[in-house]
Amino acid sequence: MRKRHKHLEFEINLIPAIDLLSVCICFLLLTAVWLHVGALNVKQAVGGQPASETAKKPTVWAQINAQGDVTLDVKDSRVPAKLAKVKIAGKDGKLNLDGIRDVAMQLKAAEPALTTVLIQPQAATVYEDIIDVMDQFKKQGLIDLGVSPL
Amino acid sequence: MLNASIVKTTSFHSVVGESSVIAPNGEKKNRNIVADLLLTALIDAFSILVIFLLMSFSSTGELLMMGKNMELPKASADMLERNPVVKLDNGKLFLEDKEVTADGLVQALLDLRKNFLETRPGEEFPAILTVQADRRAKYEQLSGIVQASAHAGFSDIKFAVVLK
Repeated sequence: MRKRHKHLEFEINLIPAIDLLSVCICFLLLTAVWLHVGALNVKQAVGGQPASETAKKPTVWAQINAQGDVTLDVKDSRVPAKLAKVKIAGKDGKLNLDGIRDVAMQLKAAEPALTTVLIQPQAATVYEDIIDVMDQFKKQGLIDLGVSPL
Repeated sequence: MLNASIVKTTSFHSVVGESSVIAPNGEKKNRNIVADLLLTALIDAFSILVIFLLMSFSSTGELLMMGKNMELPKASADMLERNPVVKLDNGKLFLEDKEVTADGLVQALLDLRKNFLETRPGEEFPAILTVQADRRAKYEQLSGIVQASAHAGFSDIKFAVVLK
């Protein structure tokens, strides 16, 4: 019986694969977004409903000054007196973000229904500080944020 | 091995190969000058590039045009959607890349709402405004935008931030 030599070696034509990958790379390079931009939501009070008719919810009023000091004033809530009005002093003219996070955490633990924060910046308050304060509150579950105009 | 390769079967005889260099005397020999390139490494590199670029792919594209000197604040936030954009750049206000004055912003926003309702009757106006400002801006510059949006009935403001 004769033995037939069968060649099992074969080569795949890689040229179409290279073409496809090149087109993919060109397309993806053109449509790539290098800066990922997000949005921090803020609710505005719009409408004519009088304040007396609005259901009262526990609310934190956060005042931010240009020196990085943040004063938190909790209204319509049953939080302990020591948490009802808290001043978090800034560090070297910057916000004390750890302090804000700790107080926000304590407030949320004391009053789980607390979700609303109204930010009251001053004219000289830096925009980045306002965003940082809102970010800290949002991380602790205080998601209904508002900013009051001057 | 070269003889068995697919390159061999798909290649044709080179004119160059039959002329001076390979056959200086113009001998007509059936010699191929086909070289086998190792393409696997190239495919590997291309695949890694495609994976990396796919990760930075966004179907929405660039929603905000950023100036050279503009730096957005950083925060963990939701994804940005396509809404009317008010930009504060070097103290100037722009609504959808068209410069507006601080006093004229309310009217411009009201016009925007009117146009929407005229072009899309029956649809509910989203009343969402995206605010784009430099992280070093003072709130006195931004307060006008907050006030104008409230006056024009925009109940939601989305501050554009760079995702942390």
